[in-house]
Amino acid sequence: MAERANLKSSFSSTVNQRSDELERIARDILDHPESGYREVRTSKLVADWFRDAGLEVQTGIAKTGVIGMLDTGKPGPHISVMGELDSLIVPGHAHADTDTGAAHACGHHAQIGSMLTVAAGLTEPSVKDGLVGKISFMATPAEEYIELEYRESLLEKGEIEFFGGKQEFIKLGFFNDVDIAMLTHTGGETAGTLGIGGSNNGMIGKTVQYIGKAAHAGGSPHLGVNALNAAHLGLAAIHAQRETFRDADTVRVHPIITKGGAAVNSVPADVRIETYVRASNVPAILNTSEKVDRAFRAGALATGAQVRITTNPGYLPAKYDEKLTDIYRHNAASLIGDDNVIRLNHSSGCTDMGDVSQIVPTIQPTANATSGNGHGIDYMVDNYDLAVIKAGKAMGMTVIDLLADNGEKGRKISGSFKTPMSISEYLSRMRGFRSDATYSE
Amino acid sequence: MKSSNMAELAELRALALRTIDGATRDLISAAKTAYSTPETGFNEHKTAAFVQERLQSLGFVVETGIARTGMKAVLRGAKPGPTVAVIAELDALRVPTHPGADPETGAAHACGHHAQIGSMLGVATALSQPEFKNALSGNIAFIITPAEEFIEIQDRLSLKASGELEFLSGKQEMICLGTFDDVDMAMMVHTSAGNGDAGLSVGGTSNAHVSHQVRYIGRSAHAGGAPDQGVNALQAAMLANSAINAQRETFREADVVRVHGIISNGGSSVNAVPGEVLYEGRVRAKSVEAIEPIAERVIKCYRAGALAMGGSVEVQAVAGYHALRQDLTLQKLFVANAELILGRDSISVLPSDQTHGGSTDMGDLSTIMPVIHPYANSAAGVGHGHDYLIEDYDRAVVAPAKVMAATVLELLSNDAQLARETIDKHKPLMSADQYVAVQRGRFTTDLYESK
Repeated sequence: MAERANLKSSFSSTVNQRSDELERIARDILDHPESGYREVRTSKLVADWFRDAGLEVQTGIAKTGVIGMLDTGKPGPHISVMGELDSLIVPGHAHADTDTGAAHACGHHAQIGSMLTVAAGLTEPSVKDGLVGKISFMATPAEEYIELEYRESLLEKGEIEFFGGKQEFIKLGFFNDVDIAMLTHTGGETAGTLGIGGSNNGMIGKTVQYIGKAAHAGGSPHLGVNALNAAHLGLAAIHAQRETFRDADTVRVHPIITKGGAAVNSVPADVRIETYVRASNVPAILNTSEKVDRAFRAGALATGAQVRITTNPGYLPAKYDEKLTDIYRHNAASLIGDDNVIRLNHSSGCTDMGDVSQIVPTIQPTANATSGNGHGIDYMVDNYDLAVIKAGKAMGMTVIDLLADNGEKGRKISGSFKTPMSISEYLSRMRGFRSDATYSE
Repeated sequence: MKSSNMAELAELRALALRTIDGATRDLISAAKTAYSTPETGFNEHKTAAFVQERLQSLGFVVETGIARTGMKAVLRGAKPGPTVAVIAELDALRVPTHPGADPETGAAHACGHHAQIGSMLGVATALSQPEFKNALSGNIAFIITPAEEFIEIQDRLSLKASGELEFLSGKQEMICLGTFDDVDMAMMVHTSAGNGDAGLSVGGTSNAHVSHQVRYIGRSAHAGGAPDQGVNALQAAMLANSAINAQRETFREADVVRVHGIISNGGSSVNAVPGEVLYEGRVRAKSVEAIEPIAERVIKCYRAGALAMGGSVEVQAVAGYHALRQDLTLQKLFVANAELILGRDSISVLPSDQTHGGSTDMGDLSTIMPVIHPYANSAAGVGHGHDYLIEDYDRAVVAPAKVMAATVLELLSNDAQLARETIDKHKPLMSADQYVAVQRGRFTTDLYESK
């Protein structure tokens, strides 16, 4: 015990000496936002930092992903501490890239800060020498499930198979020997708190194309088949089924029309929709997906249009490990006090940490350090000390608990984890979500 | 025509007009009696009994119970020749808020059929006088038809199921039963509230239609406790309705498309997910052929509602009406008589393709023989509305009786030369047998189960 306390104190004072630098990195990333699978600058910044810290670095994983490995040289559990590289696209955000509209409206820049905080503290030789096993610092691309057409083009070129960066990491084998994973996300709960527990919805993504028949909308509408009407009916049909969504399943279906017709005086013949189908569990996702497909088909049947429905695997529901959470809670409380560690509720949002959580014991605490609406123009990290430094410390101290004492706690958590699925099961399940079908009346 | 014949015709016409003038109060009273006993189609027992009695009192032998409540009485001329039918429709609508509505059934003469009883009796009263017999070559058939309004479809389908009817309107059924087999041409005068200022109008057409009895089959469940277990048939019906509405831009004005429906059962209780919803739809257009692609699309829309919700839908198509083709020879004769009797401005002629979009089973009759279906502009209010009332019974009953009597007289006098000419010039669309075959083919049932 005394040993662990010393390691944590030495970890903490190392971090304290570098806190300005760590916060500065987060702010630098904030000012240079890049969306998923395009995080070239951010990726280089992280890789350079890893190299300077003496970590064994691998770059270009899933295009822009980076891993910095800290190997104690002693056998023991393998922990992954993660940070997400990508930004959203929110053009009106104060820190948006004027060209691309990319903006850190989800606080991922602070995650890189907190991940580097853990690395800064654990690479301190007096800390590292007290630990066993390995720590992979993973900077993962593309957590936001956006720009589907771009990602589909990467898919076609064979550059990626999955739209989420962590999914690609899993597929590429980087989780094959990982025992435990963690990442701290920013959050908007009571300011100054760290949130623990909670869970997330899973999802699948759909792109839908209605193919009608163009005709002069004024002169000969009777010769056309209106793909926009088909789409409208498809959407109305989805809404008509909302009463069948169970509260417990926290189902979310929220489509957008990405193409609604070419010219107002022509009957729309090519209309496109993107939607997610989210729910708290896989059976509910599949059940809802069936209803959504049925609804889209109905729009085609009614109007005589064709509909092509392409379904892509999204993210799996996230469930966070209770025993790991408990260790984290203890460390978080030691930093900010018991009362400031709060339990999170189920979130109907999704994350590719969900996928990780189906494979290894995982936590994704939140650093409640923001104001504004998540994914909105006003989402700002107000408290970098909490989001970067304290969040990093709470994770780092948790890693110390897991890997000190010959990694006993780490082994225990890893050993008692009931794996929902193996990596190969995971991959075949995800691939099974994929479908592409065209329906006509 | 020889001048002696013309003089004879003028004399007889004058006698007919005098007779009708003299019977004015009686004829209007007959119409009002029918108004006060409104009965819906195939249920016109009281009205039929009353008309039967009036015809018998004029000396007619009346064949009754044709298509349940229909009747036929034939006046034979001295010499053989063609048969001209004068038609009156027995049935009322169902408009409970109409001032003349039967408080129990809601039946009301909101389409003015009661006036037809008066005008038909006027023709019968005038031409059944012995003075006319020798002048007539051929016969006058007074045909009193049930159920012109295409309503209460479910009730009529029950009558069909029990074998009492094959078709769901009076004239359709009477064509099938052969009532019109010995008839060569037909006329009737309908009341109207909106065909111009003249007392009468003639011409124009009407829409064909098909009726859809649609049953959405879902799965009921507690609407609060287990909506996830249900399949909402009402949502299916509403989505189908939206889908139909979305198709409206594809309907061409020239096809005079009307698609409309009612939800006849929209669920049994508000705290249960509706497991069954009944919808009655109708598709109308300028011809049976024009209906086909539209009805096909509408059925796809019904299916889309079922598909979206994961339910099923059963669509029973019921053979409706054909478009009205007015015979131009008959029409000219009717116009000439109206102008002669009532004055130059007494009648307006509508273009033959003009229509308001409504339908009549005179359209069905017009597929197999020359017919005219003029209007007596004598009503106020909205047709089929609670305010549709005959304002001018002289126009509604007396004037049509006079013009029809004179027209029939002219057709069948002088060796029925004009009647024969009418027949010769007319090209029927089909024979009665063909008509019956076509109509039988329009009854279809379609079950769609979403997969």
